[in-house]
Amino acid sequence: MRRILTIVLATALIGGAFAQQIRIMGYGGQDPAILVRLLDEVIGAELAAEGITLTYEPLEGDYNAALFNALSAGTAADIFYIPVETAPGIIATGKVLALDGLFDTAPFIESLVEAYTVDGSVYGIAKDFNTLAIHYNIDLFDEAGVDYPDANDTWATFADKLRAVAALDTDVYGTCFPAGFDRFGAFAFATGWQPFDADGATNLLDPAFIEAVTWYTDLVREGVAIQPSDIGQGWTGGCFATDDVAIAIEGAWMLGFLRNEAPNLQYGTTFMPIGPSGERGNFLYTVAYGINTDSPNRAAALRVLEAITGPAAQQWVLEQGLAIPSRTALADNPFFLEGTPEATANRVVFEGAADGNVLGFQFGNIGTDWMTPVNDALVAIMTGQATVDESLTEAQRDLNALIERAR
Amino acid sequence: MRAAPAHRLGAAEQRALEHWQTRRRWARAGLVYAVMLLFAIVFVGPLLFAAVSSLRTDPLAYPPSLAIPQLRPSNWAAAARLGQAGAADRWFGGFAPGAVVPFEIAYFVPDGVDVTDPDVEVPRRRPGAGLGAVLAIEYAADHASVSELRRLPDVPMTVETGDGTISGRRVGYAFTIRYEGTGPEIDRLPLDVTAAVGMQYLDSTLTASRLERRGRTASFNDVAPGVLGYVLRNYVRVFNEVRSPATRQSLFLAWIGNSFTFAAVRIVVTLVIASMAGYALARLRFRGREAIFMLVLFSQMVPLQVLFISNYLVLRDGILTIGGFTLSSLWGYPGGMLNSLTGLVFVTALNAGAVFIMKQFFESIPREVEEAAMIDGANHWRRYWNVVLPMARPALGALTILTFQGAWNDFFWPFIVLTSPENVKTLPIGLLSFRNTYGAVGDWGLILAGAVTSAIPVIILFVVFQRYFMEGVSFGGGKE
Repeated sequence: MRRILTIVLATALIGGAFAQQIRIMGYGGQDPAILVRLLDEVIGAELAAEGITLTYEPLEGDYNAALFNALSAGTAADIFYIPVETAPGIIATGKVLALDGLFDTAPFIESLVEAYTVDGSVYGIAKDFNTLAIHYNIDLFDEAGVDYPDANDTWATFADKLRAVAALDTDVYGTCFPAGFDRFGAFAFATGWQPFDADGATNLLDPAFIEAVTWYTDLVREGVAIQPSDIGQGWTGGCFATDDVAIAIEGAWMLGFLRNEAPNLQYGTTFMPIGPSGERGNFLYTVAYGINTDSPNRAAALRVLEAITGPAAQQWVLEQGLAIPSRTALADNPFFLEGTPEATANRVVFEGAADGNVLGFQFGNIGTDWMTPVNDALVAIMTGQATVDESLTEAQRDLNALIERAR
Repeated sequence: MRAAPAHRLGAAEQRALEHWQTRRRWARAGLVYAVMLLFAIVFVGPLLFAAVSSLRTDPLAYPPSLAIPQLRPSNWAAAARLGQAGAADRWFGGFAPGAVVPFEIAYFVPDGVDVTDPDVEVPRRRPGAGLGAVLAIEYAADHASVSELRRLPDVPMTVETGDGTISGRRVGYAFTIRYEGTGPEIDRLPLDVTAAVGMQYLDSTLTASRLERRGRTASFNDVAPGVLGYVLRNYVRVFNEVRSPATRQSLFLAWIGNSFTFAAVRIVVTLVIASMAGYALARLRFRGREAIFMLVLFSQMVPLQVLFISNYLVLRDGILTIGGFTLSSLWGYPGGMLNSLTGLVFVTALNAGAVFIMKQFFESIPREVEEAAMIDGANHWRRYWNVVLPMARPALGALTILTFQGAWNDFFWPFIVLTSPENVKTLPIGLLSFRNTYGAVGDWGLILAGAVTSAIPVIILFVVFQRYFMEGVSFGGGKE
């Protein structure tokens, strides 16, 4: 008895000496629960054997504000989320450890690594990601007798299909087009346009950008597309769930919403239409794990980073239908080929990351404020308050001021 | 000066004047009441709207209406019956082994349209958000079997539309859903009934939660809900579904408990400190009294936001950390006092405003009362405890209520101090995490139910202690 006690005590002491507590700061919502399950079912035992315990601290509300507070108060965790849209700003604080030589980034999707690369150094490992895809309402297409959208659609054939479905009924529209660059941008990229040139300047008066704006807003002015707010919805997913529109352009985040709000909606998913450049355009929405330079347990933090972005963890997250993994090797996972609408949608979103002109949802160190002038211009054009030229000229002026201020 | 000759009113004129005055009185009263009614509607309206919306399947549906299925007595009766059939529980329902749930659904079929039997299915419906989406759950679909459809006798009927009258018939179906074999009791039994194009859903044992696929599919969230499970579905979900991922303990209950504990402790601490400090400042003569009072007043002038970083750091370091020794480890917080209710009470309990209120109240008590006690040989403590404090009951009551309300609704400090784990939060912070979790998937019903629940204690408090509220306001604002 005494010997057992001694062994237990000794183990506890040794364990205590090596026990390392790693904190992770991230989003609220369901992420805390996902991490608990991930620890319980996949990586927890492995880490515990090495004497590492994990705690997750969700930052509710405005994540970026909370993270910047934590960084300046010195209370930021060993590992924290870096949202792609604010990544340049967070990395510029100097509080994120460059992973060069410490972490192998080769197995991860290239565009995701690029979104976290600054001056040749990688600062974050993408946790998961999303891109945009075309989700279509099978019932509406069947009723209108129109072919479903497919991977070969160009802007023109795509718009024709929407027109044909919209003709079905006065309260049926082709799609909801929000007046926001966070969706519209994918079409701008399909023309080959890029938000920043080599000098960090933006050209909204580029003919390619004008072409995209004209195409996007003309569909609204024609009545084929409609702004979500015009039919009492807050976003495209809402339009889609109520059978009001034939297609929705959203990421895989819409699937959970559909499960709740329209569990019987029959939908299929395909790739974004091919733009004038002969390529599709798409956004990468992602969040990465970064390591705090001030972390007292840097080695353990690296070990945790390896485990939570490891093949086993990512495969589990994918197969549970919780998120889309950032490792290229998972492209062949059988889950993607299950043939259910959700699996298909996940596959299309996954493959979207490497198909055409795909850019991170990122605006240098200006952050999402960059979008404001563009969004204002889109609203003005869609509602007929100004012409394309007028509003883009004004937006260009506002944007120049923004960029100048950020320099 | 000579007074103007009094003009004598005739009887008719007199009556007319009286009538005019009466009308004017009534008009005035009417105006006052109309304005008050308007205010009442403006202030209570949104709350009522939220309360009604929190019952609905789709709280965003517009326009707001009281004619919702959840408020229809026929649905209450059906829900109770179905809950009894599903799990012998007419209040909360469920789906238990041995259950046989009878169900009927009816369609309108216009003349000339062929009748095709609808597809009935118990779907495998995974929640879109929250723990249900993350944790493995039991599905009713794995245990349920649907019987053959039995077609009820057709009834001829007509339907009025904008274009005229359509004649046709009512086609009804009856079936049962059976729990096969043994297994766990399952919370809910969803159901989908999909009819052919042309058949219009009329009604069913329980009103469909939503019509999908352009009206073809009648979709039910739960066909064995029980009365409360049906009417208060979102409220039941708030308590049942919001659980800690690690312990499966109900988070919402934990948050309510935390909020009450926080409020109670803060009331006690505030009353003790404010009454003692107030008494000292009002009655004791000591050097620096004025300066201390000015300091108390001054601390009220400094905005919370100015102090919060330093206070936060104090909490983080457990008051004081010298060479690896943390002061707060003396009372059980070796790692600092963040993420603990104790820490939260620590930074919020001292309230200069409360001290001020108590001081002013004690000064309003006549000195003679205390002098009488002094002649009887009472020391300061006895005078405070046995004489003045009992007289201060109205002020203490008002302070209690104001403190409770402040603590219950406090957002700023709990938001900063309580971040992890989930079950350490107070209700307002918990509700914020609802928005992140359930708002993203459009589950506003659950969020509304949580918000309405959190408003209830303050409403009860207000109704019961209305009088003290008014006194509290006049103490706080009126004196000096």
